[in-house]
Amino acid sequence: MSAFVRANGAGVRFQFDHQRRVVTPAMGRFRRAGPTLWGLRGVTFAIGPGEGVALVGPSGSGKTSLLRLSAGVLVPDEGWIDVGGRVGSLLAVQAGLMPRLTGRENASLLGVLAGMSAAETRRSLAAIKERSGLEDAFERAVSSYSLGMRARLGFAVADCRDVDVLVLDEVHDALDQQFREIVAERAEVIRSRGGVVIAAGHDHSVLGRMCERAIHLEHGAVVDDGPFERVREAYLQSVAAVAEEAVPVVPVSGNQRD
Amino acid sequence: MISDLRARYGRGRLRSLKWLLDPYAAAGVYLLLIAFVLHRQGPAPGLSIACAILPFQLVMATTINALTSVQLRGSIIVNMSFRRLLIPVASAVTESIAFTASLTLLALMMAIYGVATTTAVAWLPLVLLVTFVFALALAYPAALVGLWYQEVNNFIISGVRTAFFLAAGVVALGQTHGGAHLMLSLNPLTAIFESYRDVLLYGQAPAAWELLYPVGVAALLLGGFVRLFNREQSQFAKVIE
Repeated sequence: MSAFVRANGAGVRFQFDHQRRVVTPAMGRFRRAGPTLWGLRGVTFAIGPGEGVALVGPSGSGKTSLLRLSAGVLVPDEGWIDVGGRVGSLLAVQAGLMPRLTGRENASLLGVLAGMSAAETRRSLAAIKERSGLEDAFERAVSSYSLGMRARLGFAVADCRDVDVLVLDEVHDALDQQFREIVAERAEVIRSRGGVVIAAGHDHSVLGRMCERAIHLEHGAVVDDGPFERVREAYLQSVAAVAEEAVPVVPVSGNQRD
Repeated sequence: MISDLRARYGRGRLRSLKWLLDPYAAAGVYLLLIAFVLHRQGPAPGLSIACAILPFQLVMATTINALTSVQLRGSIIVNMSFRRLLIPVASAVTESIAFTASLTLLALMMAIYGVATTTAVAWLPLVLLVTFVFALALAYPAALVGLWYQEVNNFIISGVRTAFFLAAGVVALGQTHGGAHLMLSLNPLTAIFESYRDVLLYGQAPAAWELLYPVGVAALLLGGFVRLFNREQSQFAKVIE
């Protein structure tokens, strides 16, 4: 297996109308135009086989947009992104699950949508049930699931096709400790087979278990790319520096000074 | 599609019953009003109106389904890559499965009015196919409009409902004359309704225009909107949330 994710000058643009609603290009023709915002711009990187890469950065820095590009959910508005290998993605705690359907029915639906045949999907259901650890709840409507249970099912479905590129966005934050271990182990297996893992989240200890490299994003651009610990430290220092600057300076009066 | 059907009919043993009764409930008001309250004249008025109402129900239900189809699948759209071009197809297929139950209502109406089945019924599969293609063609613009302008969904539904009354639905085309006849003929729904009447009520093959006109309109809609939908689908994840 030679999985990879490569991007060159990739950008994702958000077009707003005058009421600050995001619009598609066709919608934009029928509405009064508002501002344009680049959620991601000029992003260039290459992730090779066996690599685990964490995306770090503050909220709104472009992590989710980059993960969505990698998963094929979005296409770049400029530049390009090339993904080699079968992609499994878990980009939201809802994990694409339909609340009215049972765990089994959701697994069938998502399996077919992911490109598996109906027969393949049926064959994989037992494995998904086992991997999710949902037991009897697998036969219940997903509306009765906790966020953690949904994330478990979503991960089991995303991982059921022996994926080459696993893309995770903050969802493991909703997982319990036991299942985080399982996710980390699966990520290790995928990487050991020559696959790629890309993950974002605010739990850096989990990210550190899955990734030895990190990309630091700020305002939709890559500001650092390197070993996980170094990039993480630099990111945390930048966060601390910003927080320090944000502390209001209380003017001291002459009397108080005395 | 499975999820749509589960949402529509639920689960359990009564699911089949709900599926069978759904078209009766949808068409019942019109049938009661036209066939019994207004005492419409003409051959088998109940069957004539059923020949219009039932295919219209497919068109209407597909449009309503498609209007919310992208939003309903929002959690899947933002989570994974898949062929989103199939979303309107799922709307049309789901409603078509529901629609098949309504064929029993047509059979019932034929029995009530003593209308014998003729060899023209062999055209029915083609007539059904034309109805499906027309409904599918409306599903693509409906899905896009439902995403772009959620606030006008009710307006769109009212517009489609109005189209029924601007077609030869309540009154068969043969019972109209002059300008009204010409105006009603311009509505592709008229062609569809008349094709059902030909096959089931008049016992004759549908006229060529009754099949070709709605297919032509559908081809134009599909040609424009499938391309637009395909271009827009890569932007769905930005708009949904």
